[in-house]
Amino acid sequence: MKPMLPLDENPCRPRHYKPAPCGALPKEGPEKELLETSRTRLMLTGVLFALAFAVIGFRLVDLTVLKGGETRISHAHVSPRTEATRADIVDRNGVLLARTLESEALVAYPQQVDNAAEAARKLVKVLPDLNQQEVQEKLASGRKYVRLKRQLTPDQQFAVNNLGIPGVKFETAGFRVYPKGELTSAVVGYVDAVDNKGLAGIERGLDDELKTSDDPVELSLDTRLQYILTEEIQAQITAFGAQGGMGIIADVSNGEIVALASLPDFDPNDMSRATEEGLFNRATLGTYEMGSVLKIFNTAMVLDAHVATLASSYDATAPIRIDRFTIHDDHAKARWLNVAEIFMYSSNIGSAREAVAAGGERQKDFLSRIGLLTAPKVEIPEIGKPEWPEAWRLVNTMTIAFGHGISVSPLQMVTGVSAVVNGGVLHRATFLKHPDDYQPQGVRVLSRQTSEDMRRLMRLVVEQGTGKFAAAPGYLVGGKTGTAEEVGRHGYARKSLLSSFVGVFPINAPRYVIMVSIDQPHANAKSMGEATGGWVAAPAVSRIVQRMAPIVGIPPVDEDSPEIRRALLVDFAPSPGRKIAAN
Amino acid sequence: MSMFRLATWGWLAAVGVAGFATYEVKYQVAQVDDELGRVNRSIDANRDQLRVLSAEWSYLTQPARLDQLRQRHLTLMPVGRAQLGSLDQIPFRSGEAGAPAVAAATPAPAPQVAAHPTVRLPGGANLVSAKPGADR
Repeated sequence: MKPMLPLDENPCRPRHYKPAPCGALPKEGPEKELLETSRTRLMLTGVLFALAFAVIGFRLVDLTVLKGGETRISHAHVSPRTEATRADIVDRNGVLLARTLESEALVAYPQQVDNAAEAARKLVKVLPDLNQQEVQEKLASGRKYVRLKRQLTPDQQFAVNNLGIPGVKFETAGFRVYPKGELTSAVVGYVDAVDNKGLAGIERGLDDELKTSDDPVELSLDTRLQYILTEEIQAQITAFGAQGGMGIIADVSNGEIVALASLPDFDPNDMSRATEEGLFNRATLGTYEMGSVLKIFNTAMVLDAHVATLASSYDATAPIRIDRFTIHDDHAKARWLNVAEIFMYSSNIGSAREAVAAGGERQKDFLSRIGLLTAPKVEIPEIGKPEWPEAWRLVNTMTIAFGHGISVSPLQMVTGVSAVVNGGVLHRATFLKHPDDYQPQGVRVLSRQTSEDMRRLMRLVVEQGTGKFAAAPGYLVGGKTGTAEEVGRHGYARKSLLSSFVGVFPINAPRYVIMVSIDQPHANAKSMGEATGGWVAAPAVSRIVQRMAPIVGIPPVDEDSPEIRRALLVDFAPSPGRKIAAN
Repeated sequence: MSMFRLATWGWLAAVGVAGFATYEVKYQVAQVDDELGRVNRSIDANRDQLRVLSAEWSYLTQPARLDQLRQRHLTLMPVGRAQLGSLDQIPFRSGEAGAPAVAAATPAPAPQVAAHPTVRLPGGANLVSAKPGADR
């Protein structure tokens, strides 16, 4: 320690007080006070600076020596959206159905190209699939911008780049791929190859959403069921030399379409080979006179309106002649039939009489309620508008009862039948998967009791009626056959048939409606000369049920167990007085 | 005087250290930033590849193709109804706890001596054979 300088006489001075080394200091008075305040202020500022430095110092130590303590995770890197970005389309299980991939496209700015002929020759040398003539014309066209080739491979890009032709550039462009090809094309649709604009199906119906959304669009389709449905319909088309066919599998509890097939189809990856026939969606855009499958609605109507019970009988002894039509039965029983028998044997005469008993007004009202008279609103634009007579006359009431004189799409049929069997609640058909915990409300269109009666009747058709080939051992299938003569140039064509089967499964607690229609099947020896819905479409439904049940988790049951027998018993007292012995 | 010097040297040293540390951190940040850019680009590239590959996967798993491959290479068939059942359809071995209730419901509880008793399924097929519990 150095000895204190004898400058300081004040005993109360702060210990660090050091008087200025030279000059006389004022010992008293205002000057000293002023000096004291200044010192304090200076000190305070110094301390603040020191603190600030200390903070910075600590942070530096923290960052360098202690490596910054905990690391903050920054946001995940997101690649920027480009013009071409378009959301994926996936099925209900997340299977990819459509995706936009990026590739380099070859473009040119002809105004910058010096020697079009030379450039074209060079380009064709490395890209042999280009047409030299065409390329040269494009390059010499004087236009501002031309596209030469899409989807270059990296090798091709490298080769073209090496040519070093001025005015020839690359451009990143998106192109849409459909990994499942024709399998899901009827619903998914396709896009314009140039500007990726949706032209059909979901691609068109949800174009805006696909362009803006980052999340994939989840369809209600199940690719596995889609395959089963398509394959079985194709098998029937081949077996019966048919023109085409269509089918739908729908979830009865919420209107989801889990599979939809329209054959012939098209490959959205190769639109140059698509035919008009293939692009036409028969299952949603096509409307057809469906024939006897409409008896499902006719029977439900008379039962629901309490016009008749299952035991009520109608005279089906002879054909009905009205205007220039004759209504006759294909499998004529020529006797009085009760409502259950009319449905089971698919009697046109009986159905017509039922409809007349209910009245045209009631009939029209019921069909309207069940959605048969208006085009359904779904996510795809290919929707057919049903056709029905403006003036709903008596003859119309009669023919509509068995499915002639009214054209509806298979989609409408499936939606309506779902409502008939699911307890009577109509759900809007949809191609989008509902969220897991979402149960759409629906609209009640018929009573629970009618729905149950209809299920029993549809089981009866498969057990003893026209739809025996739809039976699938171990599984409870119910349904209704339909064979419609298509309208040709000369009225109804006897040989031009639309053979359908609408199946419901399991019929005791329905989960799926399966509709299969085969267009213009030709009878063969194996089908004993028949080409009706019961022979052509019903076997397909049987096989579809057997194949899909393990997939959708529906366990097999013993069809002959007493509980099931009782649950599906058709409860009607046959009217013995009118029953003719020969059956 | 010396107090003043000491503090000054102290602060100068602090400034020097701080300056060096700041430079060091800035340098590291630049490096990390480069790294980030590189990683982001590789993420982009990987993501693009992943998109292509999963599209490829979806293409290769077309049901029709899988069906063909199955027919060519496997002897497997789709699951039939005879292969499906629930646990309560499997009978207990007689004499085991809980047996009576189930045995009563099982049509033929007698041939329990067999090592692989067959289970009668509702469809009427005898295809599933279950090993008794003792084997486990």
